[in-house]
Amino acid sequence: MNRQNAAETILSVENISLSFGIMKVLDDISFDIKRGEIRSIIGPNGAGKSSMLNVINGFYHPQEGSITFKGETRKQMAPHVAASHGIARTFQNIALFKGMSTLDNIMTGRNLKMKTNLFWQALHLGPARLEELENREAAEQIIDFLDIQAIRKKPVGKLPYGLQKRVELGRALAAEPDLLLLDEPMAGMNSEEKEDMSRFIIDVNSQFGTTIALIEHDMGVVMDLSDRVLVLDYGKQLADGLPDEVRRNQDVIDAYLGVPHEHA
Amino acid sequence: MIYRETGQFKAHYQDDQALFPIDQDRYVIFGVLFVTFALVPYLLNEYWLNAILLPFLIYSLAALGLNILTGYCGQLSLGTGGFMAVGAFSVYKLMVAFPELGFIPLVLLSGLITAAVGTLFGLPSLRIKGFYLAVATLAAQFFLIWLFNKVGWFFNYSASGMINAPPMTIFGVIVTGPEANGVAKYYLVAGIVAVFALAAKNIARGRIGRNWMAIRDMDIAAELIGVRPLVAKLSAFAVSSFYVGMAGALYFAVWLGSAEPTEAFDINQSFLVLFMIIIGGLGSVLGSFLGAAFLVIMPILLKNIMVDGFGTDSALAAHIEIIVVGVLIIGFLIVEPHGLARLWRIAKEKMRLWPFPY
Repeated sequence: MNRQNAAETILSVENISLSFGIMKVLDDISFDIKRGEIRSIIGPNGAGKSSMLNVINGFYHPQEGSITFKGETRKQMAPHVAASHGIARTFQNIALFKGMSTLDNIMTGRNLKMKTNLFWQALHLGPARLEELENREAAEQIIDFLDIQAIRKKPVGKLPYGLQKRVELGRALAAEPDLLLLDEPMAGMNSEEKEDMSRFIIDVNSQFGTTIALIEHDMGVVMDLSDRVLVLDYGKQLADGLPDEVRRNQDVIDAYLGVPHEHA
Repeated sequence: MIYRETGQFKAHYQDDQALFPIDQDRYVIFGVLFVTFALVPYLLNEYWLNAILLPFLIYSLAALGLNILTGYCGQLSLGTGGFMAVGAFSVYKLMVAFPELGFIPLVLLSGLITAAVGTLFGLPSLRIKGFYLAVATLAAQFFLIWLFNKVGWFFNYSASGMINAPPMTIFGVIVTGPEANGVAKYYLVAGIVAVFALAAKNIARGRIGRNWMAIRDMDIAAELIGVRPLVAKLSAFAVSSFYVGMAGALYFAVWLGSAEPTEAFDINQSFLVLFMIIIGGLGSVLGSFLGAAFLVIMPILLKNIMVDGFGTDSALAAHIEIIVVGVLIIGFLIVEPHGLARLWRIAKEKMRLWPFPY
């Protein structure tokens, strides 16, 4: 968490505006994420945080602005293309494949690493078998990392909430992403589970060198984990900077404590 | 022998990824295969082979196909009858035009033709889901049957509109047409079904099967981890139609011998196969077989018991049979909405712990 500011920029968002009909969800947002940092996006409910993540991984298409990821600038992109470029994410409401086991969920996260065709898969011989084994090994490393060996073969629909969140993180990690978007990974957790999850996020960041964009409401967690914090409110960019700067910013304090907006 | 995995240690991932990681399962499967191929043809008479086991196996193949689409990929389809008709008419045209190719390649070819047709009718699935998709596939059902009725080229302009399977041989043994004997037909169909059931199981546990299930369970999340909905859905339609097409080809050429589209492949076929996978178990290869067994063998058994056992009038027996099968379907679905395959899984869980409750 003590990276210098000279690090290379992995993602830069320029003047993004997104609206649904007359609803302006994001209004002229610009920020950047540096390789290897933990970047938090905070803001009150409805501020446009999740929409921002949806724009980054290609699920929403902004009307204005551009996104540069790993030196490649784009306006629009299909989600699976974003995935193949190395962006992975978890969801605010868990979006696991409920009918599948933990292992299968994580293996699905590796689908972009697997290439063999239908014919070999039907035979389950040669390249298909080899590929399956190699990816199983990688999946098992993630299972070890997240300490979920015991639920490997369990259908995820029946797991407790905290474990489901962990499996979802595992599925995102399985893709070996360059940029990991975490949408409220600690929502609804008790403090012990939050500590575990924070530990995993730090470990992912330091062990795998994964850049992380984090949406979280627990300010303690945000201030402790983040390298830099972006604050959104009603689709507008309120502040951007080091955790301490943001904490002292009067606009941010007003937004959180509910000072009425002049134009609202 | 007790069903227990204690003491079966796995030292490598390939042991754990085996088709049947537990030894007992493996013995059971080898046992089933042995009975299927070595005992059944010699123990059972022509009637059993022709009237019970052939339709059971052929419907199992069709159910496998639909299960790939509906059970694994979550795309509801009511076009099964139409796709079976595509398989049947393809194999008919091919048998007449290219008899020198041999019967099995022709069956595979007609499967491929059906796969192409199925992919085409699968295109709406990219935009619509669930019941609405079912209605869209219903269009396939009605359109295809209409086509095979109306366009004379498909039935070679025969006066009755029927198609008749010309006799074809494999290694000198007749397998189609009226002269073929039950044992030969049984071996052919059982062989094809066994091979493709294995293939289905393999596809389902690999990348493609996982991608299908991902689309089924949470399509948005699937897309965000790199599963392309277009590829996943259309490949499910293609593979599913391939199976259904082969089933249709065998249904016509091997079992019926002659067929007329409105009767043999009407909407009831689509429903029958759909009920098979619902009763058997969605997303399960075993379930496809159990469902087919339930809906093919159960009515025949009931009829035989009533007519031969109690001397019931056969028309009355037919009606009672419909009632009883209906009640059984409802009963089974109340006991286990996830199908017979789930019952089997629960039974296995219980057996692992027996005699302890947990």
